[in-house]
Amino acid sequence: MATESSEGDEESKIVVGNQQLVVEESLREMAKQAAWSVSSCKPGNGVLSLRDDNLESFWQSDGAQPHLVNIQFQKKVKLQLVVLYVDYKLDESYTPSKIAIRAGDGFHNLKEIKSVELVKPTGWVYISLSGNDPREAFVNTFMLQIAVLSNHLNGRDTHVRQIKVYGPRPNPIPHQPFQFTSREFITYSTVR
Amino acid sequence: METMLIDCVQNSLRHLLYRNAIFMCERLCAEFPSETNSQLLAACYLQDNKAYSAYHILKGTQQPESRYLFAMACFQMDLLNEAETALCPASEPSAEVPNGAAGHYLIGLIYRYTDRRRSAVHHFKQALSVDPLFWAAYEELCVLGAAEEGNAIFGESASLYVQKLYSGHAVVSQSMLSSTENKISVSVRNLSPHDPSPRQVKNMHSNTLKDNSGSYHGTALSVGASGQFINGSSANMTFYSTPSPMTAQISAVAPPPIYRNMQANGPHPSLLGNDGSSRSTINTTMQAPRRKFVDEGKLRKISGKLFDSGPRRSTRLAGESGPNTGSSTASSTGNGTSHSSKYPGASKLGSVASRSATFRKGQARGSESTDEGVQQENYDDSHPSITTSSTSSLACDTKSLEEGILMTTGGIIMSESQAITGASDLITLLAILGEGYRLLCMYSCQDALDVYRRLPHKHYNTGWVLSQVGKAHFELVNYLEADHAFSQARLISPYSLEGMDVYSTVLFHLKEDMKLSYLAQELVSTDRLAPQAWCAMGNCYSLQKDHETALKNFQRAVQLNPRFVYAHTLCGHEYVALEDFGNGLKSYLSALRVDERHYNAWYGLGMIFLRQEKFAFAEHHFRKAFHINSRSSVIMSYLGTALHTLKRSDEALLMIEKAISADKKNPLPLYQKANILTSMERFVGALEVLEELKDYAPRESSVYALMGKIYKRCNMHDKAMLHFGLALDLKPSATDVATIKAAIEKLHVPDELEDTL
Repeated sequence: MATESSEGDEESKIVVGNQQLVVEESLREMAKQAAWSVSSCKPGNGVLSLRDDNLESFWQSDGAQPHLVNIQFQKKVKLQLVVLYVDYKLDESYTPSKIAIRAGDGFHNLKEIKSVELVKPTGWVYISLSGNDPREAFVNTFMLQIAVLSNHLNGRDTHVRQIKVYGPRPNPIPHQPFQFTSREFITYSTVR
Repeated sequence: METMLIDCVQNSLRHLLYRNAIFMCERLCAEFPSETNSQLLAACYLQDNKAYSAYHILKGTQQPESRYLFAMACFQMDLLNEAETALCPASEPSAEVPNGAAGHYLIGLIYRYTDRRRSAVHHFKQALSVDPLFWAAYEELCVLGAAEEGNAIFGESASLYVQKLYSGHAVVSQSMLSSTENKISVSVRNLSPHDPSPRQVKNMHSNTLKDNSGSYHGTALSVGASGQFINGSSANMTFYSTPSPMTAQISAVAPPPIYRNMQANGPHPSLLGNDGSSRSTINTTMQAPRRKFVDEGKLRKISGKLFDSGPRRSTRLAGESGPNTGSSTASSTGNGTSHSSKYPGASKLGSVASRSATFRKGQARGSESTDEGVQQENYDDSHPSITTSSTSSLACDTKSLEEGILMTTGGIIMSESQAITGASDLITLLAILGEGYRLLCMYSCQDALDVYRRLPHKHYNTGWVLSQVGKAHFELVNYLEADHAFSQARLISPYSLEGMDVYSTVLFHLKEDMKLSYLAQELVSTDRLAPQAWCAMGNCYSLQKDHETALKNFQRAVQLNPRFVYAHTLCGHEYVALEDFGNGLKSYLSALRVDERHYNAWYGLGMIFLRQEKFAFAEHHFRKAFHINSRSSVIMSYLGTALHTLKRSDEALLMIEKAISADKKNPLPLYQKANILTSMERFVGALEVLEELKDYAPRESSVYALMGKIYKRCNMHDKAMLHFGLALDLKPSATDVATIKAAIEKLHVPDELEDTL
C-alpha cells in the first residue's frame, strides 16, 4: 500500500481529507501487533470495523464524550503517523471535529501530544506525531489514545471508518548504527 | 487370455492410456489373480499418480518387486515408515533390497528424510556401485555433502561397465533369440553373470546358485564383477560384433561352456527375433542385461522405447526429492539396474512383463516399451530382478545426451566399437557434470564454473547446466552474471522451473521489480503447482515490501512441496521482516530439517539471535553457515560482527579481513570493520576504511554518518558537521535523519552525556 510520499498538513486545522491513502515507503503499519479497544460502541459497529480495511463499515460510539480509541502495544514502539478515514458527506453530525492524541505508558499517565481540528473532512486524514524538534520525529510509547472530543454540528456520538498507525521500519541489519541507502551496500548486505 | 490381457495393458501403458490400462488390468487380476498381475495393476495406478490405490493393492505382499512398488507408493503418500519396512523388513535384516539400484536409491531417500544421514549415504553409494550411471543417486550424495569426486564415480570402471552392458546385452539378446531355447536359456543364465551389472551378478548369483547351476557358474561368479565384465565383454563382443559373428570365438575366459553353448546355437541375426530386425534394434537399445531369461524362446523385446511414462513420475519424484530431472543417467545404463526410483512404473512393468514373458513370444514389438526388456521370467520373483527397462530408466531429460547415444544405437545393433566410444563419451560427460554439481554443492563456485566450462557447447547450452552456472554466480554474489545465465536458461527451456527460485532471488537482489514480476507471472502460468513459481511470486511482493502477501506465497510453496528447502527459508525471512521471530525460528528449523546443508537457514537463525541479542547463539549459527559455505563474504562479515558483540574483537577483525579478501567488491565487511574499529576507539583506522568506502560508494549516507560520528568523538566539530550534512543530503531513512539531526544539535555536547548513536 505504500507508494510515493506525500505530506500531511502540519497545521492544527485540517480542512480536507485525501481520497487516497498514500504513505512513505519508509513507514510501516504498526498496529497489527497492538490491542485495540474503544470506550463504547453500538452493537454491530464495534472496534473491528476500525481495522477491517473496509471503508463501508464504521465504529459508532454510544456514550458520553470524549470517545476514546485505545491502542496498546506490548513493547515501546516508535510511531510517526496516525491516519483516520472520516467522511462528512456520509456521516454529517457523526463526523468528529476535534481530535486529541495522547500517549503514555498506560491509562494512568497519558499525555496529550497532538491536537487537531477537522472541518468537514472527506477521506483520509493524516496526523503526524512528530514534534518540531528533529530529534522528536517519533513518539516512543507503549500506548496511544485517540480521543474524539467533539463532533460536527454538536453530534453526541461519532463514526470513524478506519484508523491506521505508522512507524518507521527497523534496520534490516541488526547492530548497525545507520541504515544503508545505496544499492551497492544493500545488494551485499544480506543473504537471502 | 491372460497373455492377451497383459499385452493389452502393456500396450495401453505404453501409449499412456491409463484408464484403459487400469480397467483391463482389473479384469486381468480378476480372471487370473496372481501377484504378478497385482504388480501390473499397481504399476498402472502408480503411473496414473494414484499411489493410494497401489498402496492398497500391494499391502502385505512379499515379492521383491511388489515390495519395491509398495514402498514407492508409500513414499509418495509420505508414509515413510511403511516404505522403509517394505524395503528392509525388520524380520529379515539381511534380505536384499529389491530392485537393486532403484531400491537402494529409494531407501536412501527414505533415510535422508528421516534424518539418518549415514545410512542414506551408504545406500546411495550402493546404488551408484550397482549402476554407475545413476545420476540421481550421485546428486543426492552431493546434496548430503558426501560425494566423492565426479571422476572417481564416473570413471574407468563405470565406462567399462556401460560397455559391457551394451555389448553384453546384445549378445544376450541374440542368444535369447536363438531357437534352441533350452540351451539358450541355460546359456543365457550363465551368461547373465557376465553381464556387467554387479547387481545382475548378484542376482545371477543367487539365481544360479539356486538353480544350482553349477560349476561353471561358480567360476564365473567368483570372479569379481569387473573381471567378469572383462571376460564377459570380450566374449560378448566377439559374439556381438556383427550379424554373423558367431565364430567360435569363445574367448577362453569365463564360462566357456556358455559360449560354447551360444555358439552351438549359432545365434544368427536371422534368429534375432521372430520379428526380425526390429527386434534386434530393440534389443540393442535395451541393453539391459536381462536378468532372467525368458524361457523357451521368449524373445525379449527390448524396448526401444527410451522414454516411457516413467519419466512423468520421475519428474514428480524428482521434484520431491529435489534432484534435477535432467540427468537421466540412470537410463542410459538401463542395465538391469533398476534404476532410479524415478521409473518405478517402468521397472515394474518390466518385471511384470517378464512374468508374462510367455506371451511375448511372437510379439514383435518393435517399439516395445520399456519394461519389456526385462523380462525375466522364470526366475522366481524373490530376486530383485528388475526391470531395468533400461529405457524406462531413461529419464526424460532435457539433455539430449542419452537420447543422442541411444538414438544412434537404437535400431542398430551396436557394434563393439560403438559401445566403447559411446560408453566413454557418456561417462566423461557424466564425470564433468557430476564434478561440477559436487563442487557447487560444496560451494566452491569458481571451480564449479571452470568445470562446467569444459562441457561441449551443446551440453552447456541446456537449461540445467545454465541454471547451475547461474546458481554458481549467485553464490559468488555476481548477480549480473547470474542474471545473464539464468535468462539464457529461460530462453532455452522456458518450461523448466528448476532453479528459477534462485533466479527470482537474484532479481530480488538486483531490485529489478519489472523482470521479477514478469518471471513470477510466467512461472505461475506455466505451472501453478510448482513451489518455485510461488517462491518467485513471493519474492516479487517482498521486493515491494509487502511482507504479508509475500509470506502467504511462500507458505503456499511450502504446502505444495514440504521438501522444498528454499520455500521454508524464504518464509523464515518474511517472518523476520514482520518481526515475528518465533515463527521465523520455526521456519528456519524446518528448512534445516529437510536439508542440513542449507546455509541460508543457518544464516537466518544467526540473524534472529543477533537481533534478540543472544550473541553466543548468533555466533554459533553463523559459524555453522560459514562451515558449509566458506567462501561467502557476507557470512564471514556477520560472523565477525557476532564475534565483536561477544567482545572477541581481535578474532572479529581477523574474520572481517578474510571477508574483505574473499570478495573485493563487497562493501559490507569494510563497513563492519569501520564499526568495530570505532567501538575499539581506533578512530584513525576506522576513518581510513571509511575513506576507502567513500570512493567505492559515494552515495551511501551511512558512510558519511559514521564518519561524522567519529569526528564528533574526536572533537573535530567542523568535519563532523560537514559529514553529517553530507549524510543528510543523501536521504537516509527517517530514523537516521532523526539520529543525525539529533547528533548535529548535540554537536558540542560531549558524548558521554548522550546514549551511543
